[in-house]
Amino acid sequence: MGFFEKFLAKYQDDWCKECNCAMEKLRKQLYALPCMIVGHYTEHKNPEFYIKNLHKVEKKADIPSGMYACGAIQYRCPSCGKRVTLLDPFLPVRDEEKHEGNVLFCNGELDQFLWW
Amino acid sequence: MSTKPVKKVNAVYLLATIFLPIAIIVLGGFIGYQFFRDGGNGAVICFMCPTALAVIWWVFGTTTIWRMRKKNMMKVLDEQGFERHQTFYGNNQTVVVDMKKGTVAMLFFWNPFELYVLPASRISNAWSEDGAGGAGFLRGTSRVSFLFQVDGVKIRVDTFTSNQRWKMEDPKVLEGISKADRWVQVLEAARQQSSGV
Repeated sequence: MGFFEKFLAKYQDDWCKECNCAMEKLRKQLYALPCMIVGHYTEHKNPEFYIKNLHKVEKKADIPSGMYACGAIQYRCPSCGKRVTLLDPFLPVRDEEKHEGNVLFCNGELDQFLWW
Repeated sequence: MSTKPVKKVNAVYLLATIFLPIAIIVLGGFIGYQFFRDGGNGAVICFMCPTALAVIWWVFGTTTIWRMRKKNMMKVLDEQGFERHQTFYGNNQTVVVDMKKGTVAMLFFWNPFELYVLPASRISNAWSEDGAGGAGFLRGTSRVSFLFQVDGVKIRVDTFTSNQRWKMEDPKVLEGISKADRWVQVLEAARQQSSGV
């Protein structure tokens, strides 16, 4: 295993930490976070918070100005089959996005809510 | 509900802020010159104290008054039964909106003793400005604001200001733009509520 792969696995959320390989994207969905408005964002790592506050939307244009959005992506490791859900809260601003930092759930905490 | 036309600057307050300390310095100097010509503690007090007080006033006076008036504004609004659904604390003005009643309350830095509470239907226009300027890699902004007109008076509320030009993709600028866009929507919604649309 090369140093580069280990480095990527450590710092890239879409790389499997155990197998040190790139994971494949299974599905993704966009959500609105109506409880978070511009200037009042606070990071949450508790899955319950997202279960309570995420609202499914079809496209970015459905989210009103000043309201946060959250992209959810599910990855699967092709070697060990491990599934990881990545949440990416961001503020949509016209054609741009202000990202706040990813939140990773490795134990399927949100699977029931997000994908079923 | 205020029926008076909106005045962003109270000229008397503005002039008093600038010239009253100067007048006190001159008065102190005059007293010192008249009564303590030979110097001594009296002369030092007459010349130094008004000057020190004037500097303190110029540095802290207006900001302290502004801070106190903002606090008082919230108290008065609560007493009037104004529901503060949205509040924006700008550098030179504070805007509060009651979405249910469709009313807007405003307080201005240079007119801090006059609280304006008016129906949002008096807002004729609301828009945001990102202040974008420059070309190519120099494109950026140093000010983002939302603006609205009340009885023809244009009121600009800054959501981002800087003494440098920042890239349009900068997180601070994006946040400023988002706040400005959001406030345009808030004012528009309040206006519709007030007009019964």
